[in-house]
Amino acid sequence: MELMKLEIVTPNGVIFDSEVKQVNLPGSEGEFGVLAGHATLVSLLDTGVIVIDKEDGSEVAVAINSGYVKVDEEKTTCIVDGAVALSGNDSDLAKALEAAKELLKKAESSATAIASAVSKVEQIGKSF
Amino acid sequence: MANLKEIKRKIGSVKNTQKTTNAMKLVSSAKLKRTEELAKRSRVYAAKLTELLNEIAQKMQQSNANGIDNIYFKDIQNPKCVDIIFITADKGLCGGFNSQTIKRTRALISEYQSKDVKVRLRAVGRKGIDFFKFNHVELNDEIIGLSASPDFKEASEFISEVAESYVNGTTDKIILVHNGYVNMITQEIREDQILPVETSKLELNSVSTSELEVEPDDDDTLLDALVKRYVEYTMYYSLIDSLAAEHSARMQAMDAATKNAKEMVKELNVKYNKARQEAITTELIEIISGMESMK
Repeated sequence: MELMKLEIVTPNGVIFDSEVKQVNLPGSEGEFGVLAGHATLVSLLDTGVIVIDKEDGSEVAVAINSGYVKVDEEKTTCIVDGAVALSGNDSDLAKALEAAKELLKKAESSATAIASAVSKVEQIGKSF
Repeated sequence: MANLKEIKRKIGSVKNTQKTTNAMKLVSSAKLKRTEELAKRSRVYAAKLTELLNEIAQKMQQSNANGIDNIYFKDIQNPKCVDIIFITADKGLCGGFNSQTIKRTRALISEYQSKDVKVRLRAVGRKGIDFFKFNHVELNDEIIGLSASPDFKEASEFISEVAESYVNGTTDKIILVHNGYVNMITQEIREDQILPVETSKLELNSVSTSELEVEPDDDDTLLDALVKRYVEYTMYYSLIDSLAAEHSARMQAMDAATKNAKEMVKELNVKYNKARQEAITTELIEIISGMESMK
């Protein structure tokens, strides 16, 4: 499967930068997935969870409050205001889940968007 | 003898000062390192954001024959009112750091006033506020504490208010003046026009990028949100930049002060030895002349 480059940038630095298979983004007009070779696109991102399909088949989730995404043929760049990565071992994950929920609840977004994002985060917490 | 004691006391006090300035230098260099790291990390975000803004603006310019039709990109030839935001430190003892910013701000004020433009001042940092208050210049806004510990939320709240007055037409131009960090020993005054966004500054190369799809479909919504973020972030980044410059300026000033103190101690020591020698000689002469008179 063809890979593409994904970069997630926050005001506190680059938190993700590597080759991925696919990424699902919470666009303001609805969720969408991006594969390699996607047409050029710029979109607003709503409060939600970015799900990344990594090269080795594992999945990584990143909770975000809001931001933008710029997609072109070979690269996807997410510029987000606040992000918490949901990964790591159990104790780290529990902390990350708490932090993610905190971040989502504080986001200035519609209540439904926040609620769906929070429930998604909780689901990820259970699946691990 | 009184002179001897005096000199000794002075040596002690200068040595104490030296200790203080040296400690301040160390503190500043530690803080500088931390701020530099922060600046480095946020620079990536700023770069990406500007890049994205460039592309959107470019796309809009291509699709629209008479340039970009958006309030944030208006090119106003004769502004009636200009907002000047300037960032100074909350504390002194950092050489010419604050006075340079103030000097540039004053130059800007008189430049605009000579063109009959109304100038509104917005001050960040205690030193700048104090200076203009002392000179009875009216300030529209004053914030203390933000320049010492930049906070994104506070910074964006502050700048949003200013941006709002631009959008509703109260002011035509927003300029930000701050003393920026170049390297450990150099600072540089930076003057940025925040709004309207200068299209000349954006790299609008005519090479058309492939068809750009935009979501939400309405260009303005995205552009507005993007510009807003861009403005907020510019403000925040300037605060960090200014803080780094402040620490480097203070480090330099304190380094110079420590060196001066060292020099002074040296000089005072020579003076002290001379005075001591003199006292001994006088005493000796007294004894010898006493002996002579007894003969």
